[in-house]
Amino acid sequence: MSLWKKSRVVDVIHVEGRMETEKYVYTPGLAGVKVAEALIEGKIMGVRCGGELYIPAKTYCPDHSEGELVEVRGPWVIKSYTIVYEDMYGEKLDKPVVVALLGIEGARGGLIHYVDVDPDKVRIGLKVEPVFKPREERRGLITDIMFFKPVEHS
Amino acid sequence: MRVAVVGVGWYGFKPVVPELSFREMMFEAAVRAYEDAGVDPRRDVDAFISCQEDFWEGVAISNEFAPEPIGGALRPTITITGDGLQCVGQAYMMVRSGAFKVVVVEAHAKPSSIVTLQEVYELSLDPFIRTLKIPNPLFQAGLDAVAYMRRSGASREHLAMVAVKNKTRGLLNPRASYSAKVTLDEVLNSKPVVYPLTRYEIAGFTDVAINVVLASEDVARRFGDKHVWIDGVWWATEVGTGVIEWHEWGRMPSMKTAALGAYKLAGIEDPLRQTDFAEVEDRFSYMELLALEELGLGGDGVHRLLEQGYYNPGGGYPVNPSGGSLSIGVTLEATGLSRLLEAILQLRGEAGGVQLKDVRRAIVASWRGPPTYTSAVAVVSKD
Repeated sequence: MSLWKKSRVVDVIHVEGRMETEKYVYTPGLAGVKVAEALIEGKIMGVRCGGELYIPAKTYCPDHSEGELVEVRGPWVIKSYTIVYEDMYGEKLDKPVVVALLGIEGARGGLIHYVDVDPDKVRIGLKVEPVFKPREERRGLITDIMFFKPVEHS
Repeated sequence: MRVAVVGVGWYGFKPVVPELSFREMMFEAAVRAYEDAGVDPRRDVDAFISCQEDFWEGVAISNEFAPEPIGGALRPTITITGDGLQCVGQAYMMVRSGAFKVVVVEAHAKPSSIVTLQEVYELSLDPFIRTLKIPNPLFQAGLDAVAYMRRSGASREHLAMVAVKNKTRGLLNPRASYSAKVTLDEVLNSKPVVYPLTRYEIAGFTDVAINVVLASEDVARRFGDKHVWIDGVWWATEVGTGVIEWHEWGRMPSMKTAALGAYKLAGIEDPLRQTDFAEVEDRFSYMELLALEELGLGGDGVHRLLEQGYYNPGGGYPVNPSGGSLSIGVTLEATGLSRLLEAILQLRGEAGGVQLKDVRRAIVASWRGPPTYTSAVAVVSKD
């Protein structure tokens, strides 16, 4: 038993479709609201879970306890990084972008964000700081931070 | 009560399968597997399991599409949103429970139909981070690769060696559409897509449907004589799924947990000595090395063993003799099954140009791919 197949591509009719998910309203949740409010204030939140500090803040911890939200002040360093040159379709970007995991000493996780640094200069351990949008433009999103930049004289 | 794989079937393994719909591909793979096993799906099979995910299918509630193409109507049919090897784990439990004698596992992929594949990947990220619109969702692999290299001491050359080994090996495997004759210099001199990974180190996508028939030991003898045993299978999801920032960068605790669970069931204490080869996750070059480390197949010096040719087809412990996902391509939720298929064909002596000599037991390890941190591991053997 097997199916009779056409082997010319022009013989194959396809049906166009679209997954209807363009609109969805996400609930930020208890911690998410506090994270958003903090971003508008120019602050970054983490969550203390027993003896561990996790970034970014979520309502619950990996050990399934309820965490305590705390402000994370830095200093921030690059814990890992990558440089994106192309998208998944093989289209080259106009300019490569540096994406990094930014963390602080002693904390788990970190923030994933852009770093405004020459791709040749990026390295693990580089000291960086967040650059926020002007307060009136902040919306409680991770994009309220425009990017991280290397700390001068580091 | 041992669990046997009594039949396998597949259709596709091409970057594009334009002639059939994914449901017809499922049908074709099923017909082949049932012929291989000598089972009648309407008479002999007690339950069916399909591993799939709506967004790959392009239809909502896609589990409702699962039963008919594989002969599962009016039988218990389960759909699991996960990698095919997780479905094998489910089938293994059902057979060992004694309530089901013959269980079919199915997974398929038609990424060539997904016009917005990158956007689907992006949609799988937490909305918190998605607003950054990072221009390639595989950035996550770049972050992990750099963290892995930093921790292990592996260099870009080691990552490139994995690509050369697997891409070249696949030239002997008819299922390996992305195999290529490539040199170390070519890999190292090609521009990264997502640093440090070049296009040779990131697997392409492949259309396929795969079907595997499992049976309990007491009835297996009714179905052919090419039995491969599932000695153990386990899976785990680690912290960092959903909140990817929390991931332990440069490590894969889910792979280690899945391995230890599968080894325990299989009675394995020293996997390098007690098994003969492995088919492990390698959709990104660094993942083969990281997976080997987490699987306990070379300690923390796997890149040194790689240098020495230890993981080559003729080496001390062949890894990805099929050419791996770098050669075969990523088959979405069918990726784990595609690697299980390769291991089964090896153990049955039906691996053709990539056949290894004197192999009796193997490890199969899969990762569900970014942005998940879910891994599954199986140990398979022949008598």
